[in-house]
Amino acid sequence: MTARDSRRIILDAIREHLAAGDAHEHAPHDGSSPRAPHGSLPVIAPDAVALLPTADMADLPAFFVARAEAVGGRCTRVRGAAGAALAVRAILADADARLVVSSGAPLVDHALGEPADPWRVRSAAELSRSDLFACDAGVTTAQWGIAETGTLVLESARERSRLASLVPPLHIALLSTRCIRATLGDVLAAVDPTLDGAITLITGPSRTSDIELTLAIGVHGPQSLHVVLIDDDSDANPGDFT
Amino acid sequence: MTALPPTPAGFASNVRGALGDVQLRRALRQATSLFATRRLAAMTSVADWEGARTRARAIKDETLRHLDRYLEQFVASAERAGARVHWAVDGEEACAIVAGIARARGARTVVKSKSMATEEIHLNAALAREGLEPVETDLGEYIIQLAGETPSHIVVPAIHKTRAQIAALFAEKLAAGGADDVASLTATARRTLRERFADADIGITGVNFAVAETGTILILENEGNARLTMTLPRTHVALMGIEKVIPRLADLEVFLQLLPRSATGQPLTAYQSLITGAGGGVDGEGPAELHIVLLDNGRSRMLAHPVTRQSLACIRCGACLNACPVYQQIGGHAYGSVYPGPIGAVITPQLVGLARSSELPYASSLCGACREVCPVKIDIPALLLHLRSEVVAADARGPRRGERLAFRAYTAVMARPWAYRLVTRFARAVQHFFRVGETVGRRGIAQRIVPALGAWTAWRDLRPLAPRSFREEWKVRRRRGGPPEGGSA
Repeated sequence: MTARDSRRIILDAIREHLAAGDAHEHAPHDGSSPRAPHGSLPVIAPDAVALLPTADMADLPAFFVARAEAVGGRCTRVRGAAGAALAVRAILADADARLVVSSGAPLVDHALGEPADPWRVRSAAELSRSDLFACDAGVTTAQWGIAETGTLVLESARERSRLASLVPPLHIALLSTRCIRATLGDVLAAVDPTLDGAITLITGPSRTSDIELTLAIGVHGPQSLHVVLIDDDSDANPGDFT
Repeated sequence: MTALPPTPAGFASNVRGALGDVQLRRALRQATSLFATRRLAAMTSVADWEGARTRARAIKDETLRHLDRYLEQFVASAERAGARVHWAVDGEEACAIVAGIARARGARTVVKSKSMATEEIHLNAALAREGLEPVETDLGEYIIQLAGETPSHIVVPAIHKTRAQIAALFAEKLAAGGADDVASLTATARRTLRERFADADIGITGVNFAVAETGTILILENEGNARLTMTLPRTHVALMGIEKVIPRLADLEVFLQLLPRSATGQPLTAYQSLITGAGGGVDGEGPAELHIVLLDNGRSRMLAHPVTRQSLACIRCGACLNACPVYQQIGGHAYGSVYPGPIGAVITPQLVGLARSSELPYASSLCGACREVCPVKIDIPALLLHLRSEVVAADARGPRRGERLAFRAYTAVMARPWAYRLVTRFARAVQHFFRVGETVGRRGIAQRIVPALGAWTAWRDLRPLAPRSFREEWKVRRRRGGPPEGGSA
């Protein structure tokens, strides 16, 4: 490799060309403020752009369900951790699952913790890559839901959900209805990427239209996405998944 | 089997080939009209679409105006989070950096998700020289990689191929059964590519947005191949143009409202991955190391003029391709560049130089449809005109005295009513003398009057002058005292 300082070369080029650009008297296509003096960065104020106001946005879980189903997701709404466990078992039985990967979240392990079930459950932490590819389903929680788009938000610091939500053909996500927010902006204000190496937003199953513009589901990620929405019951606290 | 890839310099002959390709044009008609219709439907779910465009552009302008500082802030944040950042002045250096990373890790297999920047710098060819064969994992990109071709559309790269052709390709290259339904073809690709994912040493992706305040890179997709690419291999390499940076995490909202809706008409693509630093931390699932390669390759030069600077606001949605009456007919290959369509016609010349792409700024009727649909309000027609003026200024034949003289005379005539009347009267007499009115449709008038402008007049013609001008007609009727013909009685 050459010893040249590419960082310096690029930054100098940027500064030189910015100065040349600013020297042009008219800047008809650029409404930005003048270049600020050295020091703190000029940052324009946050200013969210509104989506269409929707009457039933007041009921966020119902709105989430409508939007998630519109993009091919399936939703089941249950009460408490016990309801979630029943729903997860029903979905796995319906899918005829043999090998299931758990993200390791307490709520997931609680739902999968029945030894009499016909499927084997393995934790994402102990699975080899080839075993992971053999799994029929992955079960994780989602830390947030976005109602306007029916989107799940998975934070990597909470559990091992990155591959469990991606590799098996069926992904079951447990979502507390208390964690559903109206918009993407609301969720962006709530997450902290510096704490989570990977924040993944999931809207419906994996899809492609690359062949003759024909929609095909499950090209690389899951063919099926099933969201189990959990309403609080009196004594459990399903929002606190960790 | 495959011809040499088209180049921007060969635009005119590329176009002739594309216009004769019936299958390509049918596919283009379907794709461009489908995406345009879906985009219109998706726009309606944003209350203030115009406000969103204005805001997105304001964020881009602000960032570009202070690009040096936002880049430094991004780099500091990303490094603090554990990423390694590399700076590449040009494509050659970027390729050398990626090859160096692969060599140092003894990598044997590389998987890639779709990235225009990697295609811009011909990264696959560079890695092939290192004995590595990067596997494209986006379904469309995988198809054209197997076929040894180049993308024809930036969102659906293999749109020029039919199901039957893809089935034949899979049968030949992957020993697939030959079923040509989309579900079987997709399943074949899924199965084949999973084997490549399972033993890949390095995953290479592009970057859609880079957040300065947190050092986060964002990658959008629908298939899940980018998620696999940046989660399974031990090393993740992300290549990004220096213009991808935005100031804050909150700024993502408006761009995520605009980009998927403009590209495919989706409210949101299936997956967005926000990656901050090396992901091998708390969850232990991500790659052990993340390398971010910052690519200039001619971008900083675009900052030097307010008109060209807006090229860097582009978020690569492809809406201008679908809206463009020229792209709709010729498709992506004809532009001879990874960036096709209206935005390609302005970016390619700035990246490779006008000397090698002087025809591209003329690949437009200047109708302005691209400007109308652009989610960040790039004035592409203004850019095209700017580049055309540079083409003319750089013409090796020197200033075209004849052309300048002709336009000066035209201006003089059009600005003076008496001169205009005199000239049209004279022209009418000449027309009458040569009996032009009787020969219309056989041989162009323009061609007969000015045969020297062959290329221009080959496809265009003048209408013969009417025997009397409107003003003269009006005067005659007024003199007769009656109302103008067709008026109320």
